[in-house]
Amino acid sequence: MSSPGSGKIGPTGEPDYSAKSLPEGYGKTEAFLLPRDPFWMFTYWEISENRLKNLIKEIGANEYEESKKVIRVYKMSEDGNKLEGFFDIPVLFEAKNWYINVPECGKCYECELGLITKDGRYLPIVKTNRVVLPRAGVSDVIDEKWMSVNQEFEKLLEISGVEYIGKGSLDIAKSLAQRWEMLKAVFSRITSFGVSSISSQSLQKQEIKEKGFWLVADCELVVYGATQSDANLYIGDRKIKLNPDGTFALRYALPDGDTLIPIKAVSKDGDMEKGVSIKVIRETKKYE
Amino acid sequence: MNNQELGYLCLVLHAHLPFVRHPEYPDFLEEDWFFEAMCETYIPLLDIYERLVSEGIDFRITMSLTPPLCNMMSDQLLKERLKNYIYKRIELTEKEVIRTQNTPFHKAALMYERRFKRIRELYEDYYKENVLNGFKKFQEMGKLEIITCCATHGFLPLQIRKEAVNAQLKIATDDYFQRFQRMPRGIWLAECAYNPGDDYFLKNYGIRFFFLETHGILYGTPRPRYGVYAPIYCPSGVAAFGRDMESAHQVWSAEMGYPGDYRYREFYRDIGYDLDYEYIKPYLHSDGVRRNVGIKYHKITGRVSLGEKQPYDPDDAREVASIHAGNFMFNRERQIEYLYSFLGRKPIVVSMYDAELFGHWWFEGPMFLEYLFRKIYYDQKTIKLITPIEYLSIYPDNQVVQPIMSSWGDKGYNEVWLNGSNDWIYRHLHKAIERMVELANRFYSNTDTKIDRVLKQCAREVVLAQSSDWPFLMTVGTAKTYSTRRFVAHIQRFTKLWEMINQNNIDEAYLSDLEWRDNIFPNIDWRAFSTIETEKRNK
Repeated sequence: MSSPGSGKIGPTGEPDYSAKSLPEGYGKTEAFLLPRDPFWMFTYWEISENRLKNLIKEIGANEYEESKKVIRVYKMSEDGNKLEGFFDIPVLFEAKNWYINVPECGKCYECELGLITKDGRYLPIVKTNRVVLPRAGVSDVIDEKWMSVNQEFEKLLEISGVEYIGKGSLDIAKSLAQRWEMLKAVFSRITSFGVSSISSQSLQKQEIKEKGFWLVADCELVVYGATQSDANLYIGDRKIKLNPDGTFALRYALPDGDTLIPIKAVSKDGDMEKGVSIKVIRETKKYE
Repeated sequence: MNNQELGYLCLVLHAHLPFVRHPEYPDFLEEDWFFEAMCETYIPLLDIYERLVSEGIDFRITMSLTPPLCNMMSDQLLKERLKNYIYKRIELTEKEVIRTQNTPFHKAALMYERRFKRIRELYEDYYKENVLNGFKKFQEMGKLEIITCCATHGFLPLQIRKEAVNAQLKIATDDYFQRFQRMPRGIWLAECAYNPGDDYFLKNYGIRFFFLETHGILYGTPRPRYGVYAPIYCPSGVAAFGRDMESAHQVWSAEMGYPGDYRYREFYRDIGYDLDYEYIKPYLHSDGVRRNVGIKYHKITGRVSLGEKQPYDPDDAREVASIHAGNFMFNRERQIEYLYSFLGRKPIVVSMYDAELFGHWWFEGPMFLEYLFRKIYYDQKTIKLITPIEYLSIYPDNQVVQPIMSSWGDKGYNEVWLNGSNDWIYRHLHKAIERMVELANRFYSNTDTKIDRVLKQCAREVVLAQSSDWPFLMTVGTAKTYSTRRFVAHIQRFTKLWEMINQNNIDEAYLSDLEWRDNIFPNIDWRAFSTIETEKRNK
C-alpha cells in the first residue's frame, strides 16, 4: 500500500521501522515456550556468543561439532507436578525458533536446548518456561451435582454447533479482506474479466459409454492479477505480456496433482521485485 | 420480570479498533478505519438506541468499547479530523444528489445525503462530539451494558510474564472508571482468548463475567451440564458465557449468512473507483490514489463481476433487513423452546459479533438490529433480551467448570496470532515486557516527576506493542506493512526510553515528541507492570 502514512519514509524523515531494524538477539542465553493449540507449541531461543564459546571450550571443538543439538521436550502431568517422559527433536541452534508437535494434548510441557555427545552424554544448555496445552475434546470428568447422561451430552454438543468451532469472525474478515485486496488490484479501473466467459474447447467426449448416459468434466485454471503497468511480469520463467492497465489473465490446463505457479513482477528499472506463489492441488475422482 | 419467557437472548457486540492516530501527518490513510466505523457503526447504533428509547421500546444489549476505541473517541485531534471527514461526505453527497438525478442511483444518493447529515447532527449538535456520553446514558438507563477489554487488545495466552496480563487489565479498568465513573462488571478478553488462571486477575478487578468461544466451555472440566446455554463459574468465581454457534453461523456464514443477500448493498463497488477522477479527487487522500469513499450505489446482485452489479434500492434492502430480523427471531424462539424442553432450565443464548460487522461490512446490519429489537418487543413472548448481569441475578447458582485455553480465531486457539508470518514479534515483545517489569520494580517508589513521565511513556509504548491487531493484520495480509511498522516503532521507542533511563540521560525533546504521538492513556499507571502489584491481583 502506498499512502501518505502507510509505509514510506515520512516528510519528517522517519526512522527505519522495518522488521529488520530490530536486533537479531539480546545477548542473553534464554529460551521461551508459547502454546499454539492442543498439539503445537512454539519455542524461540538465543544462545549468547559467550555461552557458546565456553561450551565449546568445555567439551572441545570436535566434540561440539559431532554432538547432536536437540530440543528436549519434557511432558508433565497437567498440574506440572509429575514428569511423565521426554523426547528429543534434533535442531540447529542457529534456527533460533521451532514449532513443536506433541503427541498428547492437555499436558504441561517444558523444553530445554541441549547437546548429546557422541558417547551419549546429555548436556543441558537452557530451559524454557512451562506451558499447559489445552485439551482438544470433551472432558471425562463429570460432577455429581450437575450430572447429565452421556447421550444427552452428545446431543448438547451437537446443538451447540461443535462443528462450527473456529469458524469465527477471523474467517470472514480474512476472506473479505482478501477479496478486497484482490478486487482492488484487479478491478480498480472497472475492467472486469470474468471466469465465466471461458469456453471449454478442451473438453472432448471421451469414452462415451455404450449405455448412452455419459458425463465428461474437466477443469482449468485462470491465473489473474495486476501490477504496475510498466513492470515485467513472469509466470515461471515465461514473460507475460500485460494489458495496458497492468492487469493480466492467463488460462492453464490443470492436471491432477500439485501445480506450483510462481508469479514474479520486476519493476521497469529492475530494482524492485515482488512475488506471489500459488500452489494448486487437483484431485479428480470418478464414481459410478 | 414476568415469567412467561422460556429463555433469554444475550446480544454482544465487540467494538474495537487499534489505536491509530498520526499527528505527524496531515492526512493518514489508516485513520479512516476509525472515521468509517464511527459513521457506519457506532453513531448509527446510538441513533437506533435513541429511537427505541423515545418510542418506549425496551431492549438490552451488551457492548465492549475497548480502551483504544474510547481513547480515540475522546481524542481532540481525531475529533477534528472526524468532523472534517463528515463535512466532506456531506459536500460530496449533496453534489451526488444533483448528479444522479434521473438515474437509477438517485434514491441511494438521497439516502446517503440524509444519512451523513443525520450523523453530523447527532455527533456535533446532540452529543457535542462526545459519543461516549451517549453510550454512558444508555448504560445508566439499564439498556446497555458496557464492558471493557484488555487495555490495548493484548492477547493474554501469549504473554509469558503475568505482569503483562496485570498491566492489560489494570490499565483497562482504570480507563473504564475514568470514562464511565464506575468499575466494569464484564470484560471482553481480546480475541476471546482465555488462559486458565487469568480469571483470578479479573476477579481482583471486580469483573464478574467474560465471554468464551463455544469449545472454551464445552471442553472444560468437569463437563458443563448445560453446554453453552448457561454460564459457568471459573474456579475464581468469575462467570463465563459461551458463544452460541447456531446464531453466529446464521450471520457469519459466507454461503447462508444474511449479509450475502443479493438485495443488500455491495461493499466493493464504491464511487471512489467509479466516478470521474477529477470529480472524486477532492474526496480521496492527499496521495490521490483511488480508494473507497464509503458511498456505494450497487447491490450484491448475485455471483457476478463488479461491472455487472445492479443499482441498489434502499427500500428493498430495508424490507429484507426486516425479513431477516424476523427470521432470526423466529429461529431463536424455536431454538429456545427446544433448549428449554431439553435442558429443563431457561437457557441463555449468547450471540456475539464484531460490532463493525453491523454497518461497515453489512451496511443494513444496524437496521437489522433495530428491527430485531422492535420485533422481540412487540411480536412474541418466548424470548427475552437480557444482559449477563441480569441473568446472573436470576440464576446465581451455576456449575463450576475450568474452561480450556481458547480463542475465537481461526481453528479456535492461538494460531492466528502465532504463525510463520508473525512469530518473530514475540522475541522483541517479551524482551520489552521483561525490561518494563524490571523498570517498574526498580522505580516502584520513585517520586521524580521526570522519571515518572518517562516510565509512563515506556508503559504506553509497551502496551501499544502488545496489541493483538498487529499480529492479526500480519496473518490476514492486509495492512501488513503498517502493522509491522507500528509494532517495530513501539518496540524501538520503548527501547530508546529504556536506554535513556538506564544511562540517566533523558532527552526531553524525544520524550515530548513521543508523548505527543503516542498519547493513549493520559494517566497510565506504569506500576501495573510491577511484580508486587501483579502478585496482589493474582490470588
